[in-house]
Amino acid sequence: MIAENTQTQMRKGILEYCVLSIISRGEIYASDIIAELRSAKLLVVEGTLYPLLTRLKNNGLLSYNWVESTSGPPRKYYTLTEVGRGILSQLDQTWQELAYAVGVSQKGANS
Amino acid sequence: MEKTIIINIGNTIIHIEESAYELLKAYLFEVKQHFANHADDLEIVTDIENRIAELLSEQLEEQKKQVVDASNVNSVIGLMGRVQDFDSAEEPEEAEPIANSTYQQAYAGKKLYRDMDDRVIAGVCAGIAHYVNTEAKWIRLALLLISFIGGAGILVYAILWVIMPKAKSRIEKMEMKGEPANLQGFQKNLDEELQAVKERLSEVNKHAQPLFARFGIFIGEFFEWLGRFIGGTGKVIFKVIAGVIIVFGVLFLLSLIVGFAAFQGFWDESIYEYFPFSIVNDSARGVILLGAFIVLFIPILALVLFSIRVAFNKQAINKTLSFALLIIWLVGVATTGYQAAKISTEFKQHAELTQTADLKAYKTYVIDIDRSKYFSKEDSITYHIDASERRQIVTEDFENGPFVAHNNIRINIEKSENGNSRLVQKYESQGKTFSQALQNARSIDYKYFTRDSSIVFSPRFQLRKGTIWRNQEVWLNLEVPVGTRLILKEDAYRYINNYGTWDCRDLENDKNDYSVWVMTEDGLKCVAQLKEEAIKNKRLRQELRNLEILRKTNSTDSIYQDSVSNRIKEVKTELGITEE
Repeated sequence: MIAENTQTQMRKGILEYCVLSIISRGEIYASDIIAELRSAKLLVVEGTLYPLLTRLKNNGLLSYNWVESTSGPPRKYYTLTEVGRGILSQLDQTWQELAYAVGVSQKGANS
Repeated sequence: MEKTIIINIGNTIIHIEESAYELLKAYLFEVKQHFANHADDLEIVTDIENRIAELLSEQLEEQKKQVVDASNVNSVIGLMGRVQDFDSAEEPEEAEPIANSTYQQAYAGKKLYRDMDDRVIAGVCAGIAHYVNTEAKWIRLALLLISFIGGAGILVYAILWVIMPKAKSRIEKMEMKGEPANLQGFQKNLDEELQAVKERLSEVNKHAQPLFARFGIFIGEFFEWLGRFIGGTGKVIFKVIAGVIIVFGVLFLLSLIVGFAAFQGFWDESIYEYFPFSIVNDSARGVILLGAFIVLFIPILALVLFSIRVAFNKQAINKTLSFALLIIWLVGVATTGYQAAKISTEFKQHAELTQTADLKAYKTYVIDIDRSKYFSKEDSITYHIDASERRQIVTEDFENGPFVAHNNIRINIEKSENGNSRLVQKYESQGKTFSQALQNARSIDYKYFTRDSSIVFSPRFQLRKGTIWRNQEVWLNLEVPVGTRLILKEDAYRYINNYGTWDCRDLENDKNDYSVWVMTEDGLKCVAQLKEEAIKNKRLRQELRNLEILRKTNSTDSIYQDSVSNRIKEVKTELGITEE
């Protein structure tokens, strides 16, 4: 149970970072984000993504455009805002620090 | 064989099998419940719906199918993930104050809704009752009592009707009653729930102007309620009214028939000597009588027939017959109108005829009314008046008969210019032409007589037999020189035209049946009033003299002097003395 909880916590933070990273590469559709996450073997289900995207958008990190689709209704294509880019670069740095911290923790500072 | 349902999801039309539909519906409901406390529930659910629509369309295309089945829905749900999976990945943030750990808690408190299932008018009272945990009847009673205070309760009700939303969905009803919302409860009525989701999505525009929309709902519901009221309670009231109309209408119709028959029987009888029947020419009588009968009878008949229809819900008369009645009525109106117009032309010209008689000079005249009646030969027979029975006296009270006689005389009393007393009789009448009017005036038969200084007027004038009423009038102008006294008998008061004779009362002899008048330069004066005025004047002059003395004696006190001179002014104006 404790392990599960910790896993959840870790995934949660990383998921957000990954989503921002994927979007930072260019305008992208929600299902394509899912596909990317899936190929990265990170994600679980699509239903999780929508609340996350909505929250990021409301916090000003993302914006979206409606783009006509050949099949079905128009789709929301997400892009990173300037604020989002700033936060992402912060997160990048944090990630470097964390990766370093994890590496050091596991193998020792001298190795 | 499976039933197929067409649904609109994410603005896409999709054919779906019933079992698959149930599955999808349950899933969407779960999703909706899950995000119900989320700040952006609407947007997230819309996104998810759109995505589901897209996935389903893609799958149909891939599998070259027309209809979505359960396997499609299951695979979509697999892709989207179960609600339980959502939690682990995206726990509500502490930064979002609206969030709650479980939605059950959110519904623990009650909300104020109108209860449409237990309503009398719009469910306001029942809704309040749920909220304060009591029975609806007590709230209704309270509101009814408040209504007696200048209708305040009605206003309160109307406002609450506008403000309180109605409990439409099952969740709302549960919120209203304060029941804990659990999934078993929801599952029972999924149809309603999905409907609520849909409505919510489609009502996005309404959120922009919630009050306006509320008011619109109020108006709509109010008229719906009014419709139900008229359809139910109103119907009973209408039937009662219709019943009353039927009873009175039938009575009226019967009396009309009796009246019509009676008038036919009265033919050539004395009734036609009375106003207003005396207006009508002999030749036109039959036509006008029938016309008037039709004009009155048919509308009342129609009213009764209509009431029968309202009260008993059946047609009392067929269309042809009612149409025929309408035609007859129109003919009746036209005939009566034509006759009335014809008669009215006979009032076009005016003529008057004057006769002057000099009166013997007296210092005092007594003016009286002859209360005896002129009897025709027929009258003598009907009333058994026998000329040989000398002691019989027949007197008339003035207000007798069904129609107060129109042919009363009127007396003017005037000042004589040449010092002689005389009586001018003026006979007036209308007619189609001047000569006819004159002829009608000539047909007036009027009598008065003098006995010494008494002038006795007959109260009425007669029209010679066969003459019709054309607004004939008799004016009697009595001219007497200045200084002449007149004793007016009480009987004569009502006929005096140019003086208000009722006010002349001798205060000392209140029971006199006459009043004494005198002709002055300023016209006729009541002697009793003149006496009173003289006494009053005398008193005022005396006071004035006293005041003058007071003014001279105490000339130092200015306040005292002011009030004295004020009083002097008042007295002088009352005496008619103008100050220089």
